[in-house]
Amino acid sequence: MLKSKILVIKYYLLDAEWVDSTFFWSLNRSSPGNFTPYLALLENMEGESIYEVDSEDGVGADIISTVEFNHTGELLATGDKGGRVVIFQREPESKNEPHTQGEYNVYSTFQSHEPEFDYLKSLEIEEKINKIKWLPQQNAAHSLLSTNDKTIKLWKVTERDKRPEGYNLKDEEGKLKDLSTVTSLQVPVLKPMDLMVEVSPRRIFANGHTYHINSISVNSDCETYMSADDLRINLWHLAITDRSFNIVDIKPANMEDLTEVITASEFHPHHCNLFVYSSSKGSLRLCDMRASALCDKHSKLFEEPEDPSNRSFFSEIISSVSDVKFSHSGRFMLTRDYLTVKVWDLNMETKPIETYQVHDYLRSKLCSLYENDCIFDKFECAWNGSDSVIMTGAYNNFFRMFDRNTKRDVTLEASRESSKPRAILKPRRVCVGGKRRKDDISVDSLDFTKKILHTAWHPAENIIAIAATNNLYIFQDKVNSEMH
Amino acid sequence: MEFKLEAHRIVSISLGKIYNSRVQRGGIKLHKNLLVSLVLRSARQVYLSDPCLGAPGAGGPPQSPPPQQQQQPAGDPTSGWGEALPRDSSMEQDPEPAGASSAASELPALPLALGKRPPEGSPPPRAEAVPEAPRRRVEAAEAERGGGGEGAPEGPPRARHCCCRRLGCPPHGAPRADCGCRQRQDDGAPPPPVCPRKRSASGAGGGPAGCLASGGSPVKKPRRDSEEQPGEEEEMETGNVANLITIFGSSFSGLLRKTPGGGREDEDGEEEESPRGAEAEEPGPMYCDKPVLRNLNPWSTAIVAF
Repeated sequence: MLKSKILVIKYYLLDAEWVDSTFFWSLNRSSPGNFTPYLALLENMEGESIYEVDSEDGVGADIISTVEFNHTGELLATGDKGGRVVIFQREPESKNEPHTQGEYNVYSTFQSHEPEFDYLKSLEIEEKINKIKWLPQQNAAHSLLSTNDKTIKLWKVTERDKRPEGYNLKDEEGKLKDLSTVTSLQVPVLKPMDLMVEVSPRRIFANGHTYHINSISVNSDCETYMSADDLRINLWHLAITDRSFNIVDIKPANMEDLTEVITASEFHPHHCNLFVYSSSKGSLRLCDMRASALCDKHSKLFEEPEDPSNRSFFSEIISSVSDVKFSHSGRFMLTRDYLTVKVWDLNMETKPIETYQVHDYLRSKLCSLYENDCIFDKFECAWNGSDSVIMTGAYNNFFRMFDRNTKRDVTLEASRESSKPRAILKPRRVCVGGKRRKDDISVDSLDFTKKILHTAWHPAENIIAIAATNNLYIFQDKVNSEMH
Repeated sequence: MEFKLEAHRIVSISLGKIYNSRVQRGGIKLHKNLLVSLVLRSARQVYLSDPCLGAPGAGGPPQSPPPQQQQQPAGDPTSGWGEALPRDSSMEQDPEPAGASSAASELPALPLALGKRPPEGSPPPRAEAVPEAPRRRVEAAEAERGGGGEGAPEGPPRARHCCCRRLGCPPHGAPRADCGCRQRQDDGAPPPPVCPRKRSASGAGGGPAGCLASGGSPVKKPRRDSEEQPGEEEEMETGNVANLITIFGSSFSGLLRKTPGGGREDEDGEEEESPRGAEAEEPGPMYCDKPVLRNLNPWSTAIVAF
């Protein structure tokens, strides 16, 4: 455990204490109509509260670029711009120390991708991890796929807590013994040792993509996965690295005819033949791999006609879908474009069944956001385990949650300043003029450099992971045991 | 008017982004550049369709350009954009005559390049585009002549020509003395006054609005020779700016390809573009432009940018 904490220090340039503590939030179930998240900040083992350590060096490389829970929620993987992957593991709940119930601690850190150089095109290939996807666990080891712009790698994460001792020919360090000193034979035995987590690259899926990979998705058949770049989607077999099948190709014969690119893609959670991909024009295409080998022709096209009253120079940009996620049930899809999140029913192609405004107050500021490049930010979205709440990030380290049943929404902030020990994570409000309450943030004072692009929700419980630039916040439902 | 200013600003910002994307780490991001080029196209449409700035003498040029226009639409990828708009081609046709008169070295390369591109999409949209363009010029000219004060119809704004056309004015750079548009923007004046101000400036001919005096490029081209030297220079600038707009705005892949010295910086469409006959010429105009442009003082800033 000590070893992993040291790694955390080097990686995040934060104090180890940060790792010991987690934030909490919870739905106030006692009053059903009142969606009141609250936060309880744990102190670390020594009773000290969290404090912030600014890391000036290497902040760029520490910027978290992806967050992903595994299928049980026991592990949480983050990738950053420097090509590293950090895996957190949830401590098993113990009645002895209720404070550390279900806390996430660093489990392993490894360098997944390195910067490369494409000599043919004189291009540098960034090592930034674009996506991490866990494979369903099939044995004691955990496996995940991590990808940068060009190469996907399959990593196997194994634990070693025993080691053999008592070799006849080698000594403890592995050096060959002088045979004359061996007087008797012994049988090597396995002795327990400090837990060591080993990560090794098992497969490297390279040279499959000409353009930048934006998403990967593991199929429910647990044998194949797909990777999507701007213009093509490839289907890989997890065991075969030297070939892949191209299943979608929207590259026009003449690149000047290019009007849209693929922005995200995902396999259906249950039907291994279905997948969806989103485009920069705001449309979703559901494809069935049984229909044909090349799924250029969609089975269903989900598109909402543009609202002509909202037309501006930037209408096309803000309609570009940045993320698409199937619901756990497989019945719905969640999409995120620049200003909204939409829930689509797979059975209705003409329009989404629900649309939620994330930060509509930015609609009038699109020009400035275009100038400072914020309009190109790609926010992700997430479902909760029961598909009743959806979550997405915004600016100023705010993130938003929408309860689909009660239609209530809340804005929360992921920052240390707004969190005190055992304090409640209080809802924030952005005021756009008119009455301004205390603690409201005005639109003009939003910090657009603090953006929450990557969020993840535990598959079963109310635990969320929020990546705010180079900090990872884990919010947990503290009252799991109390309220039930 | 404010549309035009806004459009101009957006065009310059977009071009700056496209340039910056070429030097950023990790290579050109196709998605972002596609979006930027879409914005650029929209802004350019607004920019060109500004009725405020027509140009006198529109009757003349439209006769000569049509042959070039015929050539040009061949390379006009508006159909490729999926929204064939006549205005796009009119934009392209604008710089054509502009370039023709100004720098002999640039223009022949440009229409040749564009002409050599195999015509894509359906000819009919282009055919419609062609007659529309001269019509628009005539309209512009009439509007120019007829419009006394700020009668500038708000209707379809046509940023046919104004100092804003000189995209050499970097949005972040220091305002140049000869850049009238900088003044405009600093004034923050409401749209209507801008228009008459320009007209009067063009009437004065020269000075900070000298570029305006050059007028809507295609329309005023025939009169260039009679204008004074600075006016001519600025006319050339606008023509070349327009060329740049054409280069950057008309073709997405062309934009990515026309990178001086960068060569294949973007991985898209390389294999398709090489067989095309235009490849030799397409980088041509850009390269030709640069040396010529470098000779022009006000262009130095633009060159730095690109």
